[in-house]
Amino acid sequence: MSDAPIYAGVDVGSATAKAVLLDATGAVLAASVIASGGNLTDAAQRCLSLASDKAGVSPDACAAVIATGYGRERVAARSRSVTEITCHARGARALFPEARSVVDIGGQDSKAIALDERGRVLRFEMNDKCAAGTGRFLEVMARLLEIELDEFGGRAMHAAAPVTISSTCTVFAESEVISHLARNQNIDDIIAGLCNAIASRVYGLASRARLAPPTIMTGGVARNEGVVKAMEALLGAPIRTPDDPQTVGAYGAALLALESE
Amino acid sequence: MDMTALMAPFEKVASDYYGYARDAAAAGRKVAGCMCSYAPQELLYAAGYLPIRILGREGDTRRADELLQAFSCSFARSVLDSALEQEWPFLDLVMFSHTCDTMQNVADLWRAHTPDTDTLIASMPTRTDGEASLRYCMAELERLKKKLEAKTGPISDEKLTEAIRLYGDHRKTMQDLYALRAAKPGLLSGAQMMTISVAAFLMDRAEHLPLARAVLSALNTAAEPGGVSWPRVFVAGSMCRHVGFIELMEAAGCAVVGDDLCVGSRSFAHGDPDGDTPIEALARAYLERIPCPAFHRDGRHPGHALVEAARRDKADGVIFLLTNFCDPMAFDYVPVKKALDDAGIPALSLSVEQHREPPEQLRTRVEAFVEMLRESEGA
Repeated sequence: MSDAPIYAGVDVGSATAKAVLLDATGAVLAASVIASGGNLTDAAQRCLSLASDKAGVSPDACAAVIATGYGRERVAARSRSVTEITCHARGARALFPEARSVVDIGGQDSKAIALDERGRVLRFEMNDKCAAGTGRFLEVMARLLEIELDEFGGRAMHAAAPVTISSTCTVFAESEVISHLARNQNIDDIIAGLCNAIASRVYGLASRARLAPPTIMTGGVARNEGVVKAMEALLGAPIRTPDDPQTVGAYGAALLALESE
Repeated sequence: MDMTALMAPFEKVASDYYGYARDAAAAGRKVAGCMCSYAPQELLYAAGYLPIRILGREGDTRRADELLQAFSCSFARSVLDSALEQEWPFLDLVMFSHTCDTMQNVADLWRAHTPDTDTLIASMPTRTDGEASLRYCMAELERLKKKLEAKTGPISDEKLTEAIRLYGDHRKTMQDLYALRAAKPGLLSGAQMMTISVAAFLMDRAEHLPLARAVLSALNTAAEPGGVSWPRVFVAGSMCRHVGFIELMEAAGCAVVGDDLCVGSRSFAHGDPDGDTPIEALARAYLERIPCPAFHRDGRHPGHALVEAARRDKADGVIFLLTNFCDPMAFDYVPVKKALDDAGIPALSLSVEQHREPPEQLRTRVEAFVEMLRESEGA
């Protein structure tokens, strides 16, 4: 194991905990994603250890650790914590220097962030207290339809005539989906309807935050092609998604750790 | 300078919502609860009452929920629930003021459900400028004075002048404290300032005044601790008595340097105008004050006024505390937000429930806003 300094970002979200390790040049050494579970302190520790193992370094070798996400105060190893708004903006602008806005849809909240020409946060909007139309909503719907979450977005692309889901409240939407199933609607059309429902809810945030293109989509839901396509249709502009949208917040946190030195 | 000792009396009163008034009543004082800063406390004071504000409290509102529609605000719910739960047995009188339809209905419900409490409604003119408003306001104050005299005996001009002077002196001291807080937030935090304001609403002003002056004289000569420069935030919005919101902001790393809040500088910002009679002087004071969102003055744009106040206090950003279903504030919010956008002043709005301390989710928003202000400052 080398003694070169390492910089870590740990993003403890409501659904998953993510860690990204950087070397002193800002190059990514390793990234990890695990389920957050019920013990956030433990999840933070485990995702950091997992990333360290992957990189072949000791977790104690971190020169600075920035914690972010809903469980940021539970990260024992943190040097300091920074909100996920700042971290997602930082990560997105490092991956896409031309970015002028970020849409992050995570496990329990969604955010629309407007960036200035230098990539700094200009404005942001977050969803209200409830988790309607977020990753948690997709999980519940996938379980109801007996579809793997990873297949969800792809299936939406096969829809011929998406149904209308009028609510992103998980409880209301669930009963709407059951009504569509009872009418023997095509599953792909229902899935596309759910993706459209999420997109139109997030579009409300995006309009309030007056997002300008190019827009980057981050967070776990950005892996869902159906939601991304529906957002693009509403925004009227293409959206860019990173290869690993889930770890953008942790990556941004790691960059802030590096810059804080 | 021992800030802990100077703040202790305010904290004691502010943390025990009913305590001060209950003790005063037990000691033989007549206590009048006022629902709004437009209830003319000077009249009540001159009539021998201890006027205090009914500010809403924590806890659920299930009795009020039975009577109020879903679109009534949490302040209305909270104050009505406290009456229905018989939490004010020591009040001799409650004075409402006509601010919005919801509060008018709360007044009716309060009267219907607690028939033993005396109630009065102050109908101050909604338009606060012009001669007609002055004549109307004076007539309304005369009417209220007669109603009070029927209960307590004549209110002499001397008594009324004395009460007007006390309230004027108190406002002046509060204005000086607010100015000092804006100039040296490192000496007096936003949370401390709000605690002093909450206590003012729950105490005899004659007792609050020397305590507030003691803080002022101790801090006037003190040097501000140097070091960290924090983003400066101005707070505006609906009725909110929770110091916890200000604490949450300051814990996120900003200094709350100014406010336009009912439980804050707005209720103390007006002068002490003259009049041919004490009633005229009092009417002028209420008409010339900064109007709350339920009142209007011709030519005064609430947005431009807020931009001016934020600039006066050198604020880097504005945080709104908005109570859901507070229609007067919601109507103002649109032009106010636009004026801030046009002036390039960043703003964040938080939704406030009267009966609960700030929920944890707000912390992320406030911290992100502070990070944003800090990043743009660093440019």
